[in-house]
Amino acid sequence: MTARAPRMSRPDAVRELTYWGRVRAKLVRDRLTLLASALLLFMITISLGAGWISDRLLGFSPTATNLRARNQPPTWAEEAWPQFQVFTQTCQTEGGCDWSRWGEIMRSTREGLRRCLTAGPGSCHWMGTDEAGRDVLARGLYGGRISLRIGVYVAAISLTLGVVVGLIAGYYAATWVDDLINAIIMTLNSIPLLFLLIILSRIFTPGPEGLALLIGAFGWTGLARLIRGQIFSLRERDFVLASRAVGSSPWRIMTRHVLPNVSSIVIVSAVFNVAGAIIAEAGLSYLGVGIGPPLPSWGNMMQGSLGNFTDAPWLVLAPGLFIFLTTLAIYLIGDGLRDALDPWIR
Amino acid sequence: MTRYIIRRSLQSLFLLWMTTLIAFSIYQLAPGGPLQFLDDDPRRSVADIARLQRLYGLDRPLLVQYLAWLVGEDWWSAWPAAARWQSGRCLANAEACGRGIVRLDFGRSFYFKGTPVLRLIAERIPATFLLSFSSLLLSVVIGIPLGIIAALSRGRWPDHFIRVTTVLLNTVPEWWIGLLLLIVLGGYLNLVPLGGMETIGDGSLLDRLHHLVLPAFVSAIGGWISFSRIMRFEMLEVLNQDYVRTARAKGLPERVVIVRHVLRNALMPFVTGLGGIFLLILSGSVLFEIVFAWPGMGRLAITAVNSRDYPVMMALFVITSFLGIVGVLMVDILYHFVDPRVRYEREVGV
Repeated sequence: MTARAPRMSRPDAVRELTYWGRVRAKLVRDRLTLLASALLLFMITISLGAGWISDRLLGFSPTATNLRARNQPPTWAEEAWPQFQVFTQTCQTEGGCDWSRWGEIMRSTREGLRRCLTAGPGSCHWMGTDEAGRDVLARGLYGGRISLRIGVYVAAISLTLGVVVGLIAGYYAATWVDDLINAIIMTLNSIPLLFLLIILSRIFTPGPEGLALLIGAFGWTGLARLIRGQIFSLRERDFVLASRAVGSSPWRIMTRHVLPNVSSIVIVSAVFNVAGAIIAEAGLSYLGVGIGPPLPSWGNMMQGSLGNFTDAPWLVLAPGLFIFLTTLAIYLIGDGLRDALDPWIR
Repeated sequence: MTRYIIRRSLQSLFLLWMTTLIAFSIYQLAPGGPLQFLDDDPRRSVADIARLQRLYGLDRPLLVQYLAWLVGEDWWSAWPAAARWQSGRCLANAEACGRGIVRLDFGRSFYFKGTPVLRLIAERIPATFLLSFSSLLLSVVIGIPLGIIAALSRGRWPDHFIRVTTVLLNTVPEWWIGLLLLIVLGGYLNLVPLGGMETIGDGSLLDRLHHLVLPAFVSAIGGWISFSRIMRFEMLEVLNQDYVRTARAKGLPERVVIVRHVLRNALMPFVTGLGGIFLLILSGSVLFEIVFAWPGMGRLAITAVNSRDYPVMMALFVITSFLGIVGVLMVDILYHFVDPRVRYEREVGV
């Protein structure tokens, strides 16, 4: 918007914005993307503030076990949960569900919520407790630190690898370098990656950084291919030919003319990579080969639910909710960015 | 055509060889070597472990170990020079010589007390195939109509609805959706069984189908999302072509235009997606088999990984890669048969 200011004296002037200015203007107008950004910011804030929130507001440590309170339902549903279970049992009988029980369930839920809201810290498990009696909400908040960190690391790693390899392959197109890179990409694309990841993360038992390195090391092929393809179509374009004609070095052509033209692809794919990595981490940790038990992550929180998920569905629901909100926000931002970065969409 | 098939097959062979290299390096990458887990047992002396290493041939140079694993060591005794590289087990008893994975000898399991790995896998392949192929079928049956509906109603509510649903399904792990559906449909409503492939003692077709429905549907989610996207994109692409306008201009009924001109052309690129999706489903089966207690290769994989059963891990990796590579190869060849427009050389480029 600042670019417009000096032109104000000429009312008939055509408003001219730079490419990035236009992108920003489009993003500001896109309500859904703004909303998604706010949601993501919220998730990041509660993850970063997990220490303060669980200390002051919840009154529970994410690692404090309490074997007397294992697999407890959310405190506000203490009464409603057994009532709900009775209701589901009526669904399995001949007569069908006994819907008249819902009045009672709603009433005790309301009462429970009121009690929880007025009670001080340390008396209410908002999302219940897990198989070791730890507070699920506190673990979920701390888990966000791990999951989001892994998401960002993986995006950074696969972005760097994808861009560098893609540029090299595009520049050395149709030489042995390109063939070698193609062979590597084809190999990675034709093996069951999840399986390889499971094996490797079991062998190395990595921490968050190591796990991100593993996931990122296999997640760059799509981006590399995309960039290589873009370079193919760009290298014969007039502006590249012109630059070559005036004697620019290949490096200059790459950084000045080719990279800016693929930047939108790179940005969007990085954003989607974060979401993909969060989901991949959840899968690995659910299987018990990702992030190890003392550290909470959204995936390994669900691992404890393996045996008793029908009796304690909050163990599945709560971490899934965290994942859902975060990746939904990221996907929407990615979609919005894709539209905003596309110069042809006004 | 023949040239293309030959070149593509050679390429696949190369890929297979690469996967054997990867699998073998897994074996070697293990910190402390594949027998490291024996150190945990205080009753085993250093000499014991050295003896076991000699027995399994782990004291040999890497290249020799790799060759023994790949092509077997039973025929080495023919050359006295090579015979000294045979493993202790093979020297002591010619029967125990490895025959190499090229002859389908994947060795013996550490965890399952010396059971041949191939037998372990052969027992579980049918279950994994049943699940993978049914979910591939489901993803085609659900995904293609969805893509067509979305394309034909572009910008109106069916299109929006399908797009929103697919985005929402994409934002959570599919196996998590499986868990939720298990809780609601299996736990509360008792509509589907809580896991397994069949009720013990009841192997009837109906019972098996009953067990298959939910796992197949859930593991198909990723597939039908991709298929409906590909289909929507291709349909819109074809709908803009000149020949579609011509068909409409000459007064063909819309139904004929869609079925004969649009669908036939839009379905072609979809075939290329099949191989990748199959690989995705096969690879994802690890998660779905754990969630649904499905007795397939994925569960075996987790058991093997958790008990550091390296022969089983390597075999599973090589076999699933083999299935994936062969699947993609067959799809590619099929594609070139059905689509006369494809130039065989094109795929070397971008």
